[in-house]
Amino acid sequence: MKRFWRDLKSHYKYSIQSAKSSLKSEIANSYLNWIWWVLEPFCFMLIYAFIFGVVFDAKEPNFPLFIFVGLTLWDFFNRCIVQSVKIMRNNKAIVTKVYLPKFILLVTKMIFNGYKMLFSWVVILIMIVYFRVQLTWRVIYLIPEMALLFLFTFALMTHLLHYGVFLQDLENVTSIILRMAYFMTGIFFNIEKRLPPQYVPLLMKCNPMAIVITGVRKCLLYGESPNMTWIIIWMVISLIIAILGVRQIYRNENSYVKVI
Amino acid sequence: MTRTDVFDEHADIIGNSPSIRQDADETPFSERESAISVRNVCIDYRSLKAGSVKQNFFSLKKVQREVFRAVNNVSFEVPEGQILGITGKNGSGKSTMLRAIAGIFSADTGEIDLHGHSISLLSIGVGFDKELSGRENILLSGLLLGFDKAEIGEKMSEIIAFADIGNFIDMPVRTYSSGMYSKLAFSITAILETEIMLIDEVLSVGDQKFRKKSYNKMKELISKRDRTVVIVSHSMSTLEDLCDQIMWMHDGEIVMLDKPEVVLPVYMDFMK
Repeated sequence: MKRFWRDLKSHYKYSIQSAKSSLKSEIANSYLNWIWWVLEPFCFMLIYAFIFGVVFDAKEPNFPLFIFVGLTLWDFFNRCIVQSVKIMRNNKAIVTKVYLPKFILLVTKMIFNGYKMLFSWVVILIMIVYFRVQLTWRVIYLIPEMALLFLFTFALMTHLLHYGVFLQDLENVTSIILRMAYFMTGIFFNIEKRLPPQYVPLLMKCNPMAIVITGVRKCLLYGESPNMTWIIIWMVISLIIAILGVRQIYRNENSYVKVI
Repeated sequence: MTRTDVFDEHADIIGNSPSIRQDADETPFSERESAISVRNVCIDYRSLKAGSVKQNFFSLKKVQREVFRAVNNVSFEVPEGQILGITGKNGSGKSTMLRAIAGIFSADTGEIDLHGHSISLLSIGVGFDKELSGRENILLSGLLLGFDKAEIGEKMSEIIAFADIGNFIDMPVRTYSSGMYSKLAFSITAILETEIMLIDEVLSVGDQKFRKKSYNKMKELISKRDRTVVIVSHSMSTLEDLCDQIMWMHDGEIVMLDKPEVVLPVYMDFMK
């Protein structure tokens, strides 16, 4: 673990710079540049709001905002996970030429996607003003919720990085699992109200993404307290998974370069 | 006047001058401190083939993996300031050795000690992010080599001038020709100086003009007394000209390790 902090300290500048450069190059290559980072979730929000708000008659208050919060958080998670499977192969040019603690690549991706997510948060703020949502002191619950999101995402990414090197079709498996998780997280419906009651406690305990997203909506949109017990439990679990993952990466980093 | 200055003055006539360091080294290498110590190093490539999920599920019994030993029980010391040339036929473990010294992967057995020196590996197709511009790649490579932003900023213009690729410096690296790519890579390693330089077959990059320039730059760099260099090359003239010691590797083992005039004739004979 000491080594983890030392490596993080010596390489975080590289991470930030690398994420910045990637963001810049993404901007440079498209016509509407950074507007896409806002436009994409915004358009999806409109689609969902129409399908579920109008066609299926969803009854959530501030329904567009409800969807947009879910999409913002889910997009971050989804992008990080998908990108971490192939991360070693995609950075082959770098990792075969210079030593780099491999988890630094994951940190870079998280900064990259986190920065994109910031743009969505700006839109969320604007929408909060527009829909005249009353913010309460409970907004501070965002801190542990976001911490859990980052920790849990990183924990999964470490393992995907490792197995992604050896299993070439892991990408297919993750995309199926992600799609399943997407529907069990309740991006465009409220799992606490819409699902048969016997499944709700199970999902709200076993799916950290559902915990985070439902929690953020509660404290931000409806001035309610989230379920802190399970947030803390999942923080501990994520921490353990992350530690195991980082150790596994350190133990095997020798062979990564030889395989890819 | 330092040796480097003398060298600079004659930079254009270099290439026919013999080893420029001959008179400069008062202390024999045997009495200097080691910069690189390699002790009993073996490096294996297990045929860890990247498989599929299905294979992993259904092959529950342990598959006997083939092991290919790329470097077999190699030991040597490189004293500070020495220029070591490594040669040998393709697949004899030269590049693997170099990568292990650079720390890209560690030895399976034995140990490699750099005695705290900073190190950089220069090889064909240095690690660039293809979507980013040359300028950004310089910054990132510099950070990876352990320099901070201010230092890189200072040297940036020098690197760009040396690489001499014109407006392409602000274009994504994927648009580069292979020559430009190598020129930029060489410039970064040559200008951002580390204490130990590992050079893998790159002295023949670029066009005639750049080749001459880089060759001269190499000579200038390695003329500094405290710089340790390991060069992997097939070019007899490079090895003869630049190196103090030659290591001949064959099938992962050292065949000879001695002065160029001793090793090279035997090696040439062998390759016939």
